[in-house]
Amino acid sequence: MSSTAVNDSPLIDKKGGRPKTSPSPWKPKKNKKEREDFPGLRSLNGKWGYLFVAPFIVMFIIFGMFPVLYSTVIAFYEFDPLAGAGGLSLEGQTFVGFENFIYLLQDDRLYTAIGNTFDIWFWSTFPQMVISIGLAAVLRNRFLKAKTFWRTILLVPNITSVLAVAIVFGQLFGREFGIINWVLGLFGVDNIDFVEDPLASHIAIATMITWRWAGYNALIFLASMLAIPDELYESASLDGASAWQQFRYVTLPGLRNTITFTLIVGTIGGLQVFAEPLTLAGTTDGGSTHQLLTLTMFLYDSAFGASSKWGYGAAVGIIITIIVLIVSLVNFLVTRKLASGEAK
Amino acid sequence: MKIKKFAAGLAIAGLALGVGVSVPATATAATPVTITIWTFGDVIEPNLIKQYKLIHPEVTLSIKKSDLDPLNGTNMITACTSKQGPDIAAVEVSYAGYWRSYPKCFTDLRTMKTSDANVNADKGTDKNGNPVDVTYIDSTGKKLTVGTVAANLSATSIKPNYLPWRWEQGVGYDDSVIGIPTDVGGLEVAFRTDLMVKAGLVTAAQVKNGTARDVLSKKWPTWSKFIEVGKQYMAKLSAADKKAGKGFIDNVGTIYAAVLNQGTEKYYRNNGTDQGQLIYKTNKNIKTAWDTTLNAHKAAIGTRIGQFSSDWNIGMNKGTFATMLAPAWMMDYIKQQAPDTKGKWDIASLPGGGGNQGGTQLTIPSYAKNKQAAWDFIAWYLAPEQQLQVFRTYGLFPSTKSIYGDSSVKDFKDPFFNNAPVGKIYSTGITKLKPIFEGKLQRGIDQAFGAGLGRVVSGKKNEKTKKPWTSAESWAQSIADIDKLTR
Amino acid sequence: MTTLEAKPPVIKLPRRRRPKWQKVGLGGYIALTVMALLSMFPFYWMLIVASNGTEEVSKIPPTMIPGPRFFTVIENVYKVVDFNVALMNTVIVGFTVAVAQVLFSALSGFAFAKLNFKARRGLILFVIGTMMLPSQLGIIPLYMLVSGFGWIDTLNALIVPALVTAFGVFWMRQVIDAQVPNEMLEAASIDGAGVLRIYWSIVLPIISQSSFVLGLFSFLATWNDFLWPNLVLQSPGSFTVQVAVQQLKASYFIDYALNLGGAFMATAPLLLLFVFVGRRLVSGVMDGAVKG
Repeated sequence: MSSTAVNDSPLIDKKGGRPKTSPSPWKPKKNKKEREDFPGLRSLNGKWGYLFVAPFIVMFIIFGMFPVLYSTVIAFYEFDPLAGAGGLSLEGQTFVGFENFIYLLQDDRLYTAIGNTFDIWFWSTFPQMVISIGLAAVLRNRFLKAKTFWRTILLVPNITSVLAVAIVFGQLFGREFGIINWVLGLFGVDNIDFVEDPLASHIAIATMITWRWAGYNALIFLASMLAIPDELYESASLDGASAWQQFRYVTLPGLRNTITFTLIVGTIGGLQVFAEPLTLAGTTDGGSTHQLLTLTMFLYDSAFGASSKWGYGAAVGIIITIIVLIVSLVNFLVTRKLASGEAK
Repeated sequence: MKIKKFAAGLAIAGLALGVGVSVPATATAATPVTITIWTFGDVIEPNLIKQYKLIHPEVTLSIKKSDLDPLNGTNMITACTSKQGPDIAAVEVSYAGYWRSYPKCFTDLRTMKTSDANVNADKGTDKNGNPVDVTYIDSTGKKLTVGTVAANLSATSIKPNYLPWRWEQGVGYDDSVIGIPTDVGGLEVAFRTDLMVKAGLVTAAQVKNGTARDVLSKKWPTWSKFIEVGKQYMAKLSAADKKAGKGFIDNVGTIYAAVLNQGTEKYYRNNGTDQGQLIYKTNKNIKTAWDTTLNAHKAAIGTRIGQFSSDWNIGMNKGTFATMLAPAWMMDYIKQQAPDTKGKWDIASLPGGGGNQGGTQLTIPSYAKNKQAAWDFIAWYLAPEQQLQVFRTYGLFPSTKSIYGDSSVKDFKDPFFNNAPVGKIYSTGITKLKPIFEGKLQRGIDQAFGAGLGRVVSGKKNEKTKKPWTSAESWAQSIADIDKLTR
Repeated sequence: MTTLEAKPPVIKLPRRRRPKWQKVGLGGYIALTVMALLSMFPFYWMLIVASNGTEEVSKIPPTMIPGPRFFTVIENVYKVVDFNVALMNTVIVGFTVAVAQVLFSALSGFAFAKLNFKARRGLILFVIGTMMLPSQLGIIPLYMLVSGFGWIDTLNALIVPALVTAFGVFWMRQVIDAQVPNEMLEAASIDGAGVLRIYWSIVLPIISQSSFVLGLFSFLATWNDFLWPNLVLQSPGSFTVQVAVQQLKASYFIDYALNLGGAFMATAPLLLLFVFVGRRLVSGVMDGAVKG
């Protein structure tokens, strides 16, 4: 929902793909209620829509929805995969009602996981945003040489598997002989334990995430910057604004929607951080004080870790879903407030 | 129309792809068979596979390796619950307790009988008297005749070959035999001779004449003595060495498992029931192991390096630590990771006498498709002759006690370890061990206590008290975590 | 706009002065160079470790020049696992999934963006809602389902569940909404073209660039996926690249040279692909950005 809201915001509409002055009676009006959120063409036979979405819906119900719904059922059982009749059968499994959930809400690992997840999200979001916007500002410059080269190379980290680079990062972050500690040592910093120390380990994960996404987000910000009309810079520079002032008073405000957008996408992605902490911690329980236990790792550890409590794992999954929904709702409300504030 | 055609084409293409991949090997007159194996690391050793191919040319081994936890956890659980699985699965000792409680997932190996295929291979003929060539030339160019396996062997008939406590780890709760033991991870102390000399704990002459290991073993008959020796070592280190993070032992956390395994009980008591009785709150052994570990930590004799980290490998090369508790299989690890330290290592005996860490069983899941071929392979692969070969090449210690007296074990000296008689040292240690009842949640309980020690050793802050974790707080936390696990 | 001062003047003065763009200073180039080096470093490191052997990189400061052992390591990788088969499997899966996802997503995305049918709104909400579910949640039942179809250890287990994704549909809906003008559809409709025809000869050509990018992204995701393939693939003949790399791990330790050699081999094809499609990927990412 939240992303739709961004798309519908006035700023995006201004430079959207649709022709600016359209005689078409079907041109969507800005008032959302009137257009019922429908951007399409009423004259086409809508019934075709069912046929068109059918393959997706059918496949998705079987391979996307069914497993998730079934997990929801499992969450109400003390589900031992090896105890019952096997397969998808619930025979031989004990129905326990809300017991898994009651127990889960008293499980301090849940709160640790929530805390870790948000901490990692924080450290991977804000420094990254500064880096990305900074890079975008440099990339935007008209006199930049070899534009395409720079843009392309910044996207390289994004195409590779977390698994492949995880071993490399593990070595770089080594406590005694890792390069990063060696470099820090040159500046007189004592060796840091990037796995055991809670804050340092979160920063290590955030670094891996930032490495992967900074270039990608820089391109998104770049695209948004390029869409800011030249006239704004023109008049700003006529008013004698310095480069920094232009950036501060023209570029940044123009990026507001994109910043919101990347924040939203980043939040949903951040709530699902899994591979990086798993590989750095080396265990599914996230280390001795669960310092690297994120929400999705907690799900994985409950269902597949030492205890194999699938029902409990499914309950964790449902709690995660609820958290994601709450966060998305907050996102949505904040975005709408911003958008409507702008329209005034 | 175009779309429909295309979609249909795509569907057919997808179908064809799937079918193409899933078609099983076609059966021919020689009835070739593919044994699928799930394993980790080097449990299934490549040279022996080549040898097996000589006596069983019709067999192809299709091997899939995973990390231990996904393999023995997720993959095997999902396989069993969906009623399928490989022909052979390797189960590590830490998961033995878990799988012993689900014998229905495995074939009872007492019911299997080895076939008579190639019974006479070692005599140069197959069972019909046709000549076969079973000469194997190993990497050093040495020729050897591949041993064969007798017909009609069941798990019951091969049981006497194996160490009794080790055999128990592969016995299901219903007394069925679900796994046959591979190697045994006897635990001793590997030490750096040069560093010990430097610290004045032994003399260069003692290293040279091979008595250093006995001198040290005598210095640490118990764990508290071991810690004392560690303190003496640390006292001799220069301030610069200490600042560089050098220490006596690589990681004090390893002491916990070593001490615990020397007892007769861990987290479960064998009370005659299948599940056993949980005794993690009351077993004094656990607290002893815990306290010993933390005493070593307080004495500051360990480095801050975690085992199996990249730091650890480097530290091994650079002499960052003078000792490590080394299961037999770790000797090969040291050779591979630190080849330049050849001759600088030696093996002394473990304080408290004898220990064990690691080891694996080979199992045949109940939904295996080629049980007969799988059993023929296991019976051959884990027979004393083959285990002996693995010992010679890799130092993995045989679980077949029948060959401990063999001169090639008893008199085996390893030049990498200053010509220590590793065969004698390790076999002495492991014959002292008693069977320990392995319970279902063993692995999780181990991890919870391990995490508890980690909290104290790493000096982390307890969020509740805002001070570093104390031993008592952390112990209580571990117990609480295990309560959750076992509820 | 928060700063009203910055808004363009209502009456435009008749002057064509370009804003003063400052040249990119040394600092800008340094920043870009540092980022570029950091972006490439892990791959370079793989190459260094693989070609020097594990011991070499234990040094502080570490070796930074590729060594002579690269091909030995590659040879060793092939001794452990047939990498070519894995490459082939991965390409088959990746390509099928990419094509299918584009087609199915475009089809549904078109319906959601341009066709008016009753259940439309509800279904869109359904799609968006499911995008937020953690994928690990359904992995157990999905395994049993796939196992019930008899697809364990076949590439079908990777292909079929990935044929459609909520993300792809949502993405395509946004793209078609933004890139396909209603006027064009209307004109075609007046000329008597049916919905199918409009989809095939108007919509698909317009969104070809975005389709390529979506396909590319799903190809990359398939290539890099590990958790699911490792669960359902069981024999070397069906391994994908990431599962193949896993085969290089020995029992309790990591042979870094061998492992990073494998990681390099798993990544090199993507880097090569990137040389050819990098520019389009960049413009795809940037296009997507403007449209939200």
